[in-house]
Amino acid sequence: MVDFRRFSIGRRRFLKTTSSLIGASALSGLGSAARAADDVVRIGFLAPLTGPVAAWGKPGLDGCQIWAEWVNEEGGIKLPDGNRKVEFVSYDNEYDPAVARTGATKLIREDGVSFIMMLGGDTWPGVQPVADRTGMLFSTLLPSDLSPDTPTLVAPAEVHPVYNVTGVAWLAENKPDLKTAVMCAQDDALGLPSVATYLAAFEAAGIEMLEEPLLFDPATTDFAPVVTRLIAGNPDIVCLDTCYSDYVHPICEQLFQQGYKGQIISCTADFYDQIIAKTSKEFMEGFVFQFPDFDDPALNAEGINFRDPNRFFEVYNERHPGEWGAVSWEYASIMDLWKAAAEKAGSVEPEAVLAAMQDGGKGLHAFGEADWWGEDLFGINNALVGNWPVVVIEDGKAVIKEMRSIPDWYAAHGDLLKKHMEAYGQMWNQRG
Amino acid sequence: MFDLLAQTGLNALYAASYISLVAVGLVLIFGVMGVVNFAHGELFMAGAYVVVALYAGGGAPFLLAVAAGLGFVGLLGLLMEFALFRPLRDNPLGGLVASIGFLMILQATAVMGFGVRMEHIPPVTQEVIAFSEKVRLPMSRLYVIVAAVVLLGALWYFLKRTRFGWALRASAQDAEAAALQGISIGQTARIAMFIGAGLAGVAGALTAPLVSVNPHMGHSVIVTAFIVIIVGGVGSLEGAVVASVAYAFVHTLVTTFWDGVIADIVGLSLMLVVLIVKPTGLFGTADRA
Repeated sequence: MVDFRRFSIGRRRFLKTTSSLIGASALSGLGSAARAADDVVRIGFLAPLTGPVAAWGKPGLDGCQIWAEWVNEEGGIKLPDGNRKVEFVSYDNEYDPAVARTGATKLIREDGVSFIMMLGGDTWPGVQPVADRTGMLFSTLLPSDLSPDTPTLVAPAEVHPVYNVTGVAWLAENKPDLKTAVMCAQDDALGLPSVATYLAAFEAAGIEMLEEPLLFDPATTDFAPVVTRLIAGNPDIVCLDTCYSDYVHPICEQLFQQGYKGQIISCTADFYDQIIAKTSKEFMEGFVFQFPDFDDPALNAEGINFRDPNRFFEVYNERHPGEWGAVSWEYASIMDLWKAAAEKAGSVEPEAVLAAMQDGGKGLHAFGEADWWGEDLFGINNALVGNWPVVVIEDGKAVIKEMRSIPDWYAAHGDLLKKHMEAYGQMWNQRG
Repeated sequence: MFDLLAQTGLNALYAASYISLVAVGLVLIFGVMGVVNFAHGELFMAGAYVVVALYAGGGAPFLLAVAAGLGFVGLLGLLMEFALFRPLRDNPLGGLVASIGFLMILQATAVMGFGVRMEHIPPVTQEVIAFSEKVRLPMSRLYVIVAAVVLLGALWYFLKRTRFGWALRASAQDAEAAALQGISIGQTARIAMFIGAGLAGVAGALTAPLVSVNPHMGHSVIVTAFIVIIVGGVGSLEGAVVASVAYAFVHTLVTTFWDGVIADIVGLSLMLVVLIVKPTGLFGTADRA
């Protein structure tokens, strides 16, 4: 038996020892805080990390950690007063506006971040008052959050849902025999602007919609009735809009089980290997969507502004096997843009970085040089728009078929897009 | 049009099957214990995760995983009875609040154990019964329909033809009178919780390969189950089955011929109409209502 009395110490000695330890640890804490203030720039990551929308948050944070490691290995952000390491501070906003607002306040006040990346969508209205009050620079993946009232919000990675036009245009050129389409979408802030975009793209391509888009409640779990209705009129194309992967998978499975044999187009096809496992390679052959795997050789071409995409994909999959998704690279690509702007401005202050980022009205998007654009649709030129890939599943693997210009499509068919956006109440001046 | 109606009927039959299993379990727990179990949707989710762990992760046969889902979630029900509902037996509101707490614990456990992402479950079978080119019933859906009929039939036999079943019904009708006749209220409560939770678990397990399995999947199921038991009559097992079939057919028809958002509105309107015209529900009695 252990005799605890053998280890007893006097009261004075106990107080002396513990107070010394506390003092030492407090000093070391102060030291690290001071070092952090000097050497580290903190970036806020305010996105859904849990819940049904987590697939468009968590993989992005995982990608950012790889980005930070690579940048920090090379010395970090190079500023006139010395290099700064990058550190991400994440906050799970649960895709809830109130939680997002609390998170934004905490990231700014307590963590001292210099920039905050968000998924946006339903959570942006909760955060906007914080942005107005603090002048903090935010980014969103969803430019439908932009308006003239959001001067410090930028959409530099993707112009959702406008890039969806490239998939339809490619389909019309390469499969001209497809003449009719149907569409389904969840009835929410992601689904509706995408519906308007696809309607414009189909109209521009001369593809007839057999019926109005079929909207479903985001809480839907059984998609058999939705699919029965979709394919009742024998459409050439079934369009899955910007459905979450929780919907894309069961919808594809139902299309397969109910005997559909036509073309499918979708904004995303996250974890498409699992869809193939539930259907068949033959069924998924030719599936068109918009988000490439980064091991695609086409991403090594000149003009691609993403550091070593193939290696990034490899490292990502080593660390997070089977979790590569649409957003895995996007937040990291926003960081490329932010880093370049901060180094150009010689500062991490939000105002200076934003000015440097938008200097000359052009920027280096991951898929090529792009323009700061959007006044027509969003009331402000805070979306970075250029080329976007059209991706097709061939022999069970996603392949980039072509990089297509969004501005070129918009120059030819912008009025159609505005018409359908207005019809669905999605123009910036129609949003509540 | 005939093909469309026939396919819609098959879709509705599947929906009615799993909704019935969940709703009957919820009614059984309420009838015997007088507790509104808000964690019932999460018991459904727990059953689905048993299939994720054993069938998708462990390579066990699907039927074995489903049986394990029934047993495991039934045991969870016993745990709830022991830890939550027994100490709060005379406090229905306390039981309700405790079940909400348990709901959160189950969700958090699923997040910690499996993560937040939708789970991939390989299909049990890709075979389809094709009645025509446009009318098809996947075998995986047929399994759910058959299992629901068998399980609900067995439950009916148990309740109507066995001594335990009579004891259960007697407790549901009047617990005090049943106790005076020598029926153990504690034992009937345990049986009710095991069966009620087990039915939710088996529904989750059976449908797991057909839906998106994630920690939050119980939410929509519990909302539907509440609508169904209010329409059927709170405390009525027959009402729960009839209302499940009615709700599933109405919801599926409206989704197919209009859209899913309108179908939800129609489902809720159906509940409101029943509450106005017959506040006790289709099969409910004034006592329970």
